[in-house]
Amino acid sequence: MLRPERMCRLLIAAPKGEIETIIKELYRHNVYHIEDFVPESSSDALSIGHPLADASDAASALIKVRAIENACGIDPGNVEAKTKLPVAKVRKRIQTDLPAIQKEAEELVGSRSRLDARQKEHEQRARELEPFVAVPLDLEFYRGYARFTVFAGHITHDVDIGVPNEKFFSGGVPGNMIVVVVPNEHREQVERTLLDAGFQAIPIPEENGAPADRMKAHLEEARRIEAEIAAINGKIAGIREKHTDFLVACDELLTADVERAEAPLRFATTEETFITEGWVPEAQADQIRNTLEKATGGKIYIEELEIDDDTAVPVEYENPSFATPTQMLMDIYARPRYSEIDPTLMVAIVFPIFFGFILGDVGYGAILLALSLGLRKIITGDEGRMLLKVLSYASISSIIFGLLYSEIFGSSLPWPSLLYSRHLNIGGAAAAGHGPQVAELMIVAIWIGILHITLGRVIGMLNARRIYHGKHATKAVISNAGWISVMWGIILIIWSLYAIPLMPDLTGFPGAGTIGAILLVAGIIGIAQENPLEIVELPTIISHVLSYARLVAVGLSSVAIAMVVNYIAIGMMIQPQLEAITPVGVILIIVGILVLLMGHMLNTALGLLGGGLHSIRLHYVEFFTKFYKGGGKKYNPFGMKSKFTEE
Amino acid sequence: MVDVGTTLEIAQASQAGMSAVGAGLAVGLTGIGSGIAEMGIGAAAVGATAENRDMFGLALLFTVIPETIVIFGLVVALLLLF
Repeated sequence: MLRPERMCRLLIAAPKGEIETIIKELYRHNVYHIEDFVPESSSDALSIGHPLADASDAASALIKVRAIENACGIDPGNVEAKTKLPVAKVRKRIQTDLPAIQKEAEELVGSRSRLDARQKEHEQRARELEPFVAVPLDLEFYRGYARFTVFAGHITHDVDIGVPNEKFFSGGVPGNMIVVVVPNEHREQVERTLLDAGFQAIPIPEENGAPADRMKAHLEEARRIEAEIAAINGKIAGIREKHTDFLVACDELLTADVERAEAPLRFATTEETFITEGWVPEAQADQIRNTLEKATGGKIYIEELEIDDDTAVPVEYENPSFATPTQMLMDIYARPRYSEIDPTLMVAIVFPIFFGFILGDVGYGAILLALSLGLRKIITGDEGRMLLKVLSYASISSIIFGLLYSEIFGSSLPWPSLLYSRHLNIGGAAAAGHGPQVAELMIVAIWIGILHITLGRVIGMLNARRIYHGKHATKAVISNAGWISVMWGIILIIWSLYAIPLMPDLTGFPGAGTIGAILLVAGIIGIAQENPLEIVELPTIISHVLSYARLVAVGLSSVAIAMVVNYIAIGMMIQPQLEAITPVGVILIIVGILVLLMGHMLNTALGLLGGGLHSIRLHYVEFFTKFYKGGGKKYNPFGMKSKFTEE
Repeated sequence: MVDVGTTLEIAQASQAGMSAVGAGLAVGLTGIGSGIAEMGIGAAAVGATAENRDMFGLALLFTVIPETIVIFGLVVALLLLF
């Protein structure tokens, strides 16, 4: 909690004879993050290891399985595991069944692509014949003359050829169609005449008979082939239906085989031994050490190394379960560094509160909650699921804030707002209750900003002591304290000059302004001693605090849209018609309902975007920039969580 | 600029109208400002994300930085209206 999981850096050395056992054990435990061995050119004592013997077999089998999956359109990532197949059985079936399945799938895909090509060809021919249908001539009459030349093609308009000729013109096809037969001696002259009229020759199909009949024949053939393709697709779907479980199990098993067999490529080896370095969570270090020693019968050397560079340590989050989905939001920004404070928990708590503060509406909250629960069936990816969970927490918070604000789809609930009211006076909607208390809400938002940023700076002080060492650490701590002091100095000066509601009134205490000024100056000195250039950043103190006003501003705009939609749809369209129902009125009522639905749908989408993006932005830009470094490597243990197979 | 015929009511009404115009200008102009600012950043951010998916978080962050301008406009407008 509040910091990444503690890691242990292990060095494992053993004779090459034990390499398979060790790889197998490490893979099974799925906790060891391998640090890839990079050979140094200068020393030749250590070199990269060779893959295990069965690597190429497993790899080629895997390629086959992937090819079948590809052909049948199976994506293992989207397959729900029904039952886990035992490994031994899968291995046996890879020998017995897989070749047959592969052959069947290959044949089907092969004949499908052949049919596809033939279908395309027939369609192409039919297209080529299409213009000739307009001309009452059989196709054999277009060619085979010794003394005549045939012109056939599109033309912009009918022309007078002027020499002895036979001509057909049809304006009934797109681009018009002209066929001219002239004696060879007039050929050039006719060609010029035609070209002047925008003539475009088209190739004459190498076929016999009436064009219309031929075209029909080709189209029929194409249709017949299409039916055949559909039949083959049905067969492929049959394979998918029948063998998906087996294929994804093969995929998983062989992927594991390949990963295991190729692991030595990440190790350093000498003539007789191999060495590997890696990371294990501290909690599992002893266990992995014992199992390895037991498995190899003591023929292994394991040493725990010191961690000298915190950027090299792989980072795994350690959070209570309700905060784990928020890790996704952290990863979008950057994974924390190993030694700094992991703010996931704070984001997990504050993000939904901000979201609710912005989109505090029972109706929209309920829609988003239903959406996030409903989409869980459709979206199966890990990341998507996590986002949906974050959304469901946020929408619950939105419902709670909606109850407090007394808002449902922009209208009010039976009780007055328990917090400050956000009911705007649109179409007399708020006439009954309290008007909007914008100023108060704004000040609450500013308070949130002041506290959030102060928290950020305090964490910045703690982080500075963890990340930096010696003098630099002290300087960074003082600089962070300087930022806090400047901010509170400015606040004190403002309080001593103006009386602001909901904030301490210090106008009567002349000392307050002086203390503020002292804090301000001291803070600036504190900032400047670390880096004088930071002074130019001072205005961000004010802009970042004021930026929290968006919590109210974005929220109010969403309330305003909801109320406007209600006023237009109900107040202006539906209600007046209900008083005296006429046929036109019924249509107007239906249109009004449509406007109502569309408007609220749009506003839900806007609310989701506004509430989500602005809340997370406040974290990314205003909060994280105060303390967060990020850039930790992802902890990626060697091994696999088996989904389709079991030992 | 006070006309002879101007009554208190008319003066108040025109004051309210003027503040509404001011609120509109505050949101509209800052909106244009944010839009112009985000135009370049957004294009570059999409390009960077297309090259490298990991850039998405940072790209989003850069893109929304000018958003603050329009939020200030919105805040000013709300304070003018209420």
